[in-house]
Amino acid sequence: MTDVPYETEHDHNVQGHDVHEPHEGLPGTIGHVSSWKSLVKVLGALLVLTVITVAVAQVDLGRMNIVGALGIACVKASIVALWFMHLRYDKRFNFWILISSLAFVAWMVGYILMDTAIYQQNITDYRKEKPLEVKPIESGSHQ
Amino acid sequence: MSTSVAEHETRHEALPARPKELAMHFDTLHQQYSTGKLAMWLFLGQELLFFCGLFTAYAVYRGNHQEMFHYAHYFLDWRLGGLNTVVLLTSSLTAAWSVRCAQLEQRKGLLITLALTFLCAGAFMVVKYFEYSHKLHIGAVWGSNFGVATADLPPALLEKYPGMTGQQLQLMGMGTFFAIYFCMTGLHGIHVLVGMGLYAWLFVRALRGHFNRRYYGAVDNVALYWHIVDMIWIFLFPLLYLIG
Repeated sequence: MTDVPYETEHDHNVQGHDVHEPHEGLPGTIGHVSSWKSLVKVLGALLVLTVITVAVAQVDLGRMNIVGALGIACVKASIVALWFMHLRYDKRFNFWILISSLAFVAWMVGYILMDTAIYQQNITDYRKEKPLEVKPIESGSHQ
Repeated sequence: MSTSVAEHETRHEALPARPKELAMHFDTLHQQYSTGKLAMWLFLGQELLFFCGLFTAYAVYRGNHQEMFHYAHYFLDWRLGGLNTVVLLTSSLTAAWSVRCAQLEQRKGLLITLALTFLCAGAFMVVKYFEYSHKLHIGAVWGSNFGVATADLPPALLEKYPGMTGQQLQLMGMGTFFAIYFCMTGLHGIHVLVGMGLYAWLFVRALRGHFNRRYYGAVDNVALYWHIVDMIWIFLFPLLYLIG
């Protein structure tokens, strides 16, 4: 390392970096340089998963359709986060920011879904008393 | 290890020239880079929570009105949605590649990848424009404005449910589905437009030669933003277009 101030602190605080991987880059480069081959492979994987998710959706699996679609979407999102967004090579702290944010997402969706069915009857009863006002529709009237 | 600025000062030595890219409140370029990246990740965490409200609305409405999503998916063309998915995934590759080019100081590559990302984002918006204009034309819009004439219903829907009328869908509250649809894809579309602006800005800066191997935080952070936009679409595409 150099003794000049303003220089890079280098990789000692970058965790999760695989030392056996050939390290590309000019001397003093900040951050992990992804090889173009790995980037193209990641895109390939994402496109294959997209084809799979479209194919699976054509088959009626009942409730399993949404489970499958969300499962594949989660795998795709993880691939994007780990490779395209460099989280695999980044400081762990950034990874935990993402995870904690997702935990709050799960918390919010989960808690709200828990009691949403309870009030459905009220809405149904209200709609029976006061049906939606329906205007007559003409074809192409929305140009 | 490197000698700190303070040590230089106590030894009354002349400091080496400070890099012009280094803001005055940072000690090193690495610190500057890490700080920017940390802030970007905090912002992206907030972005997920921001979209989460809409995903919750989707989940609640779907939980109670499965049939609505079944009828609605006939209105959305998965081929157009799939095309946009491919376009956006490709732009994510070029965005990630632009970071690599900046790190390796490949000026030409950087300009090409930034331009390609911008163009893919533009292509996404063009497809979106055709989708939106068709829906506005037939009246498949939000809330009580929803009103699609039976003649304008998607042929596949009429084939499956021969007796279905536009009025019936209206009474079921199909407008709520389209309110969710337009809010989710609209907010996402605004993010794509912002991304286009950011890539135009990066392109100009790259033309002026602002970036180098130790100063490319802007390229990296905009790419992170762009990947989050891509990630949101990865969920929107199957949730809205595919599962009915």
